[in-house]
Amino acid sequence: MIRRRTFNAGLLAATALPLPAIAQSTGSAGKRGGDLIMAQQAQPPTLDAQTTTAQASRNITLHVYESLFTRDEVSNPKPELAEGVDISADGLTYRIALRTGVKFHNGKTMTSADASASMQRYAKVGGSGDVLKPVAAYETPDSKTLVLKLSKVFPGLMEAISSPRAPFAIMPEEECAKPAGQAAPPMIGTGPFAFIEYRPDSHAKVARFDNYVPNTNFDKRDGFTGRKTAYFDTVTFRFMPEGGARTAGLQTGEVHVLESLDVAASKRLKDDKNIKSYPMLPWAFMTLMMNTNWGLTANVELRRAIQSALDLEEIMAIATDGLYRMDPAWQYPGTNYYPGLDGLAAFTTQDQAKAKQHLQAAGYNGEELQLVADSSFKPHLDAGTIASEQLRAIGMKVKLNVMDWPTVMATRSKPEGWNLWPLMMGIEPYEGPYNVVGFFAGRQTVQIKQDPVIEDANARLASELQLDDRRAAVKQFQNRIYDQAIAVKVGDVGIVQATRANVMNYAPYRIPRMWDCWFA
Amino acid sequence: MLRLIALRLLAALPVLLVVSLVAFGLTLLVPGDMAAEMLGMSATPADVARLRHELGLDVPTLVRMAQWYEGLLHLDLGRSVLLNQSVTEAIMQRLPVTLSLACLGLSFALVLGIPLGLLAAAKVGRATDQAAMGTALVGLSLPDFWLGLVLIWVVGVKLHWLPTGGWVSPAQDPLGWLRVMAMPAGALGLTQLGPIARMTRSAALEVANSDFVRTARAKGLAEPRVFARHVLGAALVPILTVAGIGFGAALGGALVIEQVFSLPGVGRLVIGAVLRRDWPVIQGGLLMTATVFVLVNLLVDVLYLWADPRLRER
Repeated sequence: MIRRRTFNAGLLAATALPLPAIAQSTGSAGKRGGDLIMAQQAQPPTLDAQTTTAQASRNITLHVYESLFTRDEVSNPKPELAEGVDISADGLTYRIALRTGVKFHNGKTMTSADASASMQRYAKVGGSGDVLKPVAAYETPDSKTLVLKLSKVFPGLMEAISSPRAPFAIMPEEECAKPAGQAAPPMIGTGPFAFIEYRPDSHAKVARFDNYVPNTNFDKRDGFTGRKTAYFDTVTFRFMPEGGARTAGLQTGEVHVLESLDVAASKRLKDDKNIKSYPMLPWAFMTLMMNTNWGLTANVELRRAIQSALDLEEIMAIATDGLYRMDPAWQYPGTNYYPGLDGLAAFTTQDQAKAKQHLQAAGYNGEELQLVADSSFKPHLDAGTIASEQLRAIGMKVKLNVMDWPTVMATRSKPEGWNLWPLMMGIEPYEGPYNVVGFFAGRQTVQIKQDPVIEDANARLASELQLDDRRAAVKQFQNRIYDQAIAVKVGDVGIVQATRANVMNYAPYRIPRMWDCWFA
Repeated sequence: MLRLIALRLLAALPVLLVVSLVAFGLTLLVPGDMAAEMLGMSATPADVARLRHELGLDVPTLVRMAQWYEGLLHLDLGRSVLLNQSVTEAIMQRLPVTLSLACLGLSFALVLGIPLGLLAAAKVGRATDQAAMGTALVGLSLPDFWLGLVLIWVVGVKLHWLPTGGWVSPAQDPLGWLRVMAMPAGALGLTQLGPIARMTRSAALEVANSDFVRTARAKGLAEPRVFARHVLGAALVPILTVAGIGFGAALGGALVIEQVFSLPGVGRLVIGAVLRRDWPVIQGGLLMTATVFVLVNLLVDVLYLWADPRLRER
């Protein structure tokens, strides 16, 4: 028998069906019309939303596709194409009620068959397909209900399937047989904008979907969900690799929205009446990952030497051009799983004398530390460069290996050959604890060598039904990271989104949302 | 002439074979993987392996090599999974952008560089010569990406004369196309102007004191006409050589300029493919660029015969 439990903010709490409490004010009524041009640096590796975790794809696909659940303004899970979910007392059955009357861009009405086929495709080709492994069966008792039957308890399921990392895009059933990478273009979803064209290396274009069925469970937009209203006739996503050219485009009015404006440029343009800047902090963790499996960093004393040698604020100030926040916690303050700062001060204060003692205890004899950093993301290279200098200051020999992003990715996934790797974790902390802790646990740990305490924390996070127990697991993870110096959380990085002044009611978010804003 | 063309085309085959081998070799030597790129940094090896299989990337090297050369024999450069289209089609869609950019840039360099070189030769040793060669040197020394950004700042942002980037098809809007191409072609042309002007000056000076030039002057021809009609004609072969090399350099420069001005050409295609490790596109792009280079060299050889009748008799 299924006992009705409702899903709220990733918690299993016996309360009424949650409907949004937090929503954005739209101010005055909007005005329809116009072609909004948004510039982004990268072009999407694919528009097959389910298969990619790339931000360049999300920027576009989340205007076209919607999911059963997604994240609200403060990144808590909320229904989108679903009305809600009943979770059985044993945590093994999820009965998802779908919204009715929702139309796909091809005119077809969405049913549970589409939802089921989309989820099953995701399990096969999705960018986070592994999270659906506990789902043993997908059942569709009627056209507006999808039932997920789990083979084992997984309290993180709602957090996982509401994540926009590689969106759990719902598409027509007949599209779901397409192999990875082939579902788009064209994209057929239920979102407020419908796909028009994709020209690789140039742009993608979407148009307002006039048969869009807004979610009446909400009053206004709310994160990726809410009552969405499209005002622009069309939105063009231009791919402009050169930062200076993107800024110039915004200044001349050829571009109306930038997904990210250099911090230095935003300072320079602060008096420009035609441009509005929207700083967003936090955007990502800045971290230094260590390989605990190989070479110097296999030695915990040496890792502690690195931990003590670093002036974290200096790294942040330079790597972020000044848009940063010092917070050593491995979750964001104000979120459900924030583990607090107790006992962290000793690990986050630079102490070169202590660092040298740790070096001595490690038996360091002038061996070369291999730091790999990519040149594709400036903050990574800056953080790597400054960290190298700070480590040299305590007498370490450091080799800074600068490569392009794919080469760094290939290098760091090897068990040997690297010691230190600067990395911004963007979407993971936004999603909550699962992919942060999970990054250090399981088959592919970022630190290469599995740590039993982190594995235990990850297992508890994935199985404990009580929120307090899961919070304790996150705290256990954080303590272990610091105690064993497995990685360094340098600080929180911010970004600046920017629009022309005539783009009204814009609100910055994880991606620039082109619904519920309009031209003056 | 046909024999010459046939011989040159035959000689190009080994070049293209080497390029194809290097292009294929890169796929073995350079780390990185398209499936890993698609999935992102949290993907497990199992996730990557699953997607590699889904995308058909787990085919053994020798089989891939056999497929690559079998395809080449049928003029098929393979298929890009990421673009979801054939590589030939992807390149052909973008080649007009790159070729038109390189041609416009080179035309700009020729139209300005040759008169500048002739002027310098006519006024050799004087202030005009110094100024012309100084201008050429500045163009030669400036990196094209920097020049592009400066043009965007001055011409686009400050003066609002031209758009700062993007692409308009000439078939849809010829004037719009010219407007979006003016700055990138100008940036590219300015960097090619230097070598052309300097070579023109040097070649013109070599023939400026020849008997036929003296005869032309003795007939009473005005100095500009002497240079335009007699000196330039005789100096054309080395200028063509530099222009041929310049076209190759312009093709290379176009890769950078396309990035700066957001033009959807072959350069952006290949750079994007490199960043995503889309090997069929990288291989095809390299081979196609080499082919264009070979054909341009052939064209220059043919132009030699047109420019210098003595060569036709050899």
